Amino acid sequence: MTADGAVDLHKIGVKFFAEQGNAVELVEFIPIFHRWIQTDALDDLLIDVADYSHVHAGPGTLLVADAGHYGFDETGRRRGMVYYSKHVLTGTLPERLAAVCRKVLLACQLLEQAPELQGRLKFDGNEVQIFSNDRLCAPNNEETFRAFEPALKEFLTKLYAGSGYSLNRETNSKERFCVTAKTSEPVRLDTLLGRLAA
Amino acid sequence: MMSWKERLIDRMPAELAREIDIYETQMALKRQGKVEDKLFAETRLRRGVYGQRYDNGQRHDGSTQRTLSFPCGDLTKGTETVWDAPGMQRIKIPFGGLTPDQMDVLADVAEEYSDGISHVTTRQDIQLHYIRIDDTPDLMRRLAAVSITTREACGNSVRNVTACPLSGVCSDEAFDVTPYAKACSRFLLGHPDVQDFGRKFKPAFSGCKHRACGLTTMHDLGFIARIRVENGVERRGFEMYVGGGLGAVPYQAKLFDEFVPEEEILPLSQAISRIYARHGEKKNRNRARIKFLVDKLGIDRFREMVLEERRGLPHNEAWTDYLKELPAYGEKPLKPATKLNSGARSTAFETWRASNVYRQKQPGYAVATATLPLGDITSWQMRQLADIARRYVGENVRTTVEQNILLRWVSEADLPALHGELERIGLGEAGAGTIMDITACPGTDTCKLGIASSRGLAAELGERLAAKYQQLDEAVKGLHIKISGCFNSCGQQHLADLGFYGVSRNVGGMTVPHFRVVLGGQWEENAGSYGVAIGVVPSKRVPDFVDRITEKYLTEREKGERFREFIERVGKRELKALVDELATVPPYELDRSYYSDWRDPREFTLSDIAKGECAGEVVSRIDFDLQGAERQYFEAQLQFEAGNHQKAGETAYSAMLAAAKGLIRTQYQDITDDADTIVREFRARFYDTELFHDKYAGGKFAHYLFGRHEDKERTFDTDKTRRLLEETQLFIEAAHACNARMIGQNAAAPMIANQEPASVARV
Ligand code: SF4
Repeated sequence: MTADGAVDLHKIGVKFFAEQGNAVELVEFIPIFHRWIQTDALDDLLIDVADYSHVHAGPGTLLVADAGHYGFDETGRRRGMVYYSKHVLTGTLPERLAAVCRKVLLACQLLEQAPELQGRLKFDGNEVQIFSNDRLCAPNNEETFRAFEPALKEFLTKLYAGSGYSLNRETNSKERFCVTAKTSEPVRLDTLLGRLAA
Repeated sequence: MMSWKERLIDRMPAELAREIDIYETQMALKRQGKVEDKLFAETRLRRGVYGQRYDNGQRHDGSTQRTLSFPCGDLTKGTETVWDAPGMQRIKIPFGGLTPDQMDVLADVAEEYSDGISHVTTRQDIQLHYIRIDDTPDLMRRLAAVSITTREACGNSVRNVTACPLSGVCSDEAFDVTPYAKACSRFLLGHPDVQDFGRKFKPAFSGCKHRACGLTTMHDLGFIARIRVENGVERRGFEMYVGGGLGAVPYQAKLFDEFVPEEEILPLSQAISRIYARHGEKKNRNRARIKFLVDKLGIDRFREMVLEERRGLPHNEAWTDYLKELPAYGEKPLKPATKLNSGARSTAFETWRASNVYRQKQPGYAVATATLPLGDITSWQMRQLADIARRYVGENVRTTVEQNILLRWVSEADLPALHGELERIGLGEAGAGTIMDITACPGTDTCKLGIASSRGLAAELGERLAAKYQQLDEAVKGLHIKISGCFNSCGQQHLADLGFYGVSRNVGGMTVPHFRVVLGGQWEENAGSYGVAIGVVPSKRVPDFVDRITEKYLTEREKGERFREFIERVGKRELKALVDELATVPPYELDRSYYSDWRDPREFTLSDIAKGECAGEVVSRIDFDLQGAERQYFEAQLQFEAGNHQKAGETAYSAMLAAAKGLIRTQYQDITDDADTIVREFRARFYDTELFHDKYAGGKFAHYLFGRHEDKERTFDTDKTRRLLEETQLFIEAAHACNARMIGQNAAAPMIANQEPASVARV
């Protein structure tokens, strides 16, 4: 936390949950991610693909990148597309949240369009999970939440264009700091991307 | 904001904290270009910071070779190893012993710095992948705060000391080897006599001879617990083995002594280390393991040399101190012993119990195995497992060489509930220690030397076998499969009933992944014998081969015939024919699947193989000593800049002493840390002999040390301190030059342990 009580997060993760897609095998993502590397499909230095389909509720299929990792992930027993940054990010905290969110949304869109999946995968735009991989800066407690809340609100107001949302915080203090925001109305991914770009 | 260093300062053992600070300074020096690649690589390896595939900045994406343009530009962390490229962190877990608090921290660091996965290795370590080197000092601090060190987890050093995970609770053991493994690990960690090896050195302890748990005969140094009755009194000791190892050419360890009394195991380990450091191969790393030295000298000559060395070792209380604590040693169960009640239980539980539960020698207690697929456990599972351990067994947790985690001292009546808890977190699968519980090295997933995908194959086989596990014959269930990505054998395929290691073959001008089949290895009797290599099958036909060979075993075995005996009886010719049936690779145009590996759709290539770091570069002890002096000099500069002149002056002096001591050690191994002794020995060996003299400046630089040493009333004003810093730098430079001259002239006298101090010898 900074001297003024704000939280100076860089190791930020964002996940959008899969609405459909339980029928897709985790190993089906392996060739897709390899192709993304071949075609420079994402604006990142993409390095490799790691297969964790054998572990229970784990990182699933991981696309290793330099600035952070992408993955079709099963953490918390909920499938979804995730991106978490491993580097120092630029900008204010709401801007960093927006940058990470944009990355994962683009990956979600790309995955929905993957020809191998033939429309078998769709993501929910109306629910977003935000977490931090940094227990020094953001231990999972109420104090962190309070310090984080203003930036979170600013970001979510932009993402959900002022429509109401409910917030749910992971309360197990041993788990990483994690909040999930949900609006009642369905939202398309491109709408979310448009709002972030505005 | 507070750093991890500040936050944990009171929780880290001072020595570990200091070592990590030193490592961080070395990183800073490397970034400034003040440490050469080879030296820094070995430095980080000795902190467990290991290279990973593609860290040379090159990767074949399936169609073309690509350069990975990491943001660090030209900065490297070793020869052809890019600073920013993700790497692996190996974490030593001596004898596999873990506590729930340690598991919590492992889970956190895996999540924050890696990819949320902790990987249990075939030597009871934990490995984390995709680690940025810049994160490693904090990662180490967090581990140090729960008394875990990564020191000497890689590199040419003493690796994790392993032991049977059942030690202390096993019905077959002579006695509990845990405290001995712990003492050995503590004694050898950072010991001056283990810093100059040509390659790695792996010790192992076993509680008995006939079971497999300790695998002592495949180790560089192996101990098997023995009790000898002398004059009606029971004495504890060990059957001691030396010079075993797998690798490309597997060697069975040689018997060093049938009975080494407990008080002798540490001094003998030290003497062996000295002989290995002094006489082991240094230039050709392919022949640098101790097994080659033992083979070259013969075990009798090797033993003679070790015993002679042992006689001359300066006495060390640490050899036997731990023995005083032995009577009080013992694990404490969390709960009272109970019996498993006879009520109705689920089939899932009974299946799990049959393979994953071991009844301890202590009535009413059992060991339960949490089966980790491919040795992987997520951070969430690790935290949950830590909580489960807290509720059921307390601190009694161990990793195994079969890449699982054991909960020991489970009160038997708790087993059904415990199984339910393990199932809830996805770790309640049956099949531990069976054909389904496949061991695999990292292979092409992350290893720079990997040829074929050992983990991909293991995952595929694991899935197929799990699907038919219930229908498998008991004889097949009991077989072991082990897979390595290349001939280096980290997956221990030589010890398995069915072993495989990755190779490649050229088919129609294209490279096709294959596995060499190794059959009939003996896991029992501490890796009693190694399997025989038969032939090669395309990677994609290995599952078919497993089906065929197990089928053949089931239908053709003689009554009570074990797999190894069956393999021996059937013979190579017939087995080769079986392999050959599957050897054909269809043309690329007909079936492309053969031309890529399991779980990796890229067209197969060998171009991603890079120079390995399995044992690091051979860097001699004097290089490390001089680097240590350089680092202290750097710290002195920082202290000077911060205005702390006295501290800067003292650190600079200490840097000169460190450089002098390094030189002395090339001739006199047992040099102490005492400043008077160092200066006296340095004068006698390097100044009086003019070895240290510069062609033009003569003995001038040596006088900087002598002058500072004699200046007992020193004041620390700015000018004097600045001058001292400059003199220190010149002294260290002169030490480097002296070392280079000695290497050039081969002038350094061979290191002879316990060679007399020069000051005594002159009298
Ligand atoms: S056996 Fe080969 S591929 Fe496997 S970890 Fe060892 S060196 Fe790497």
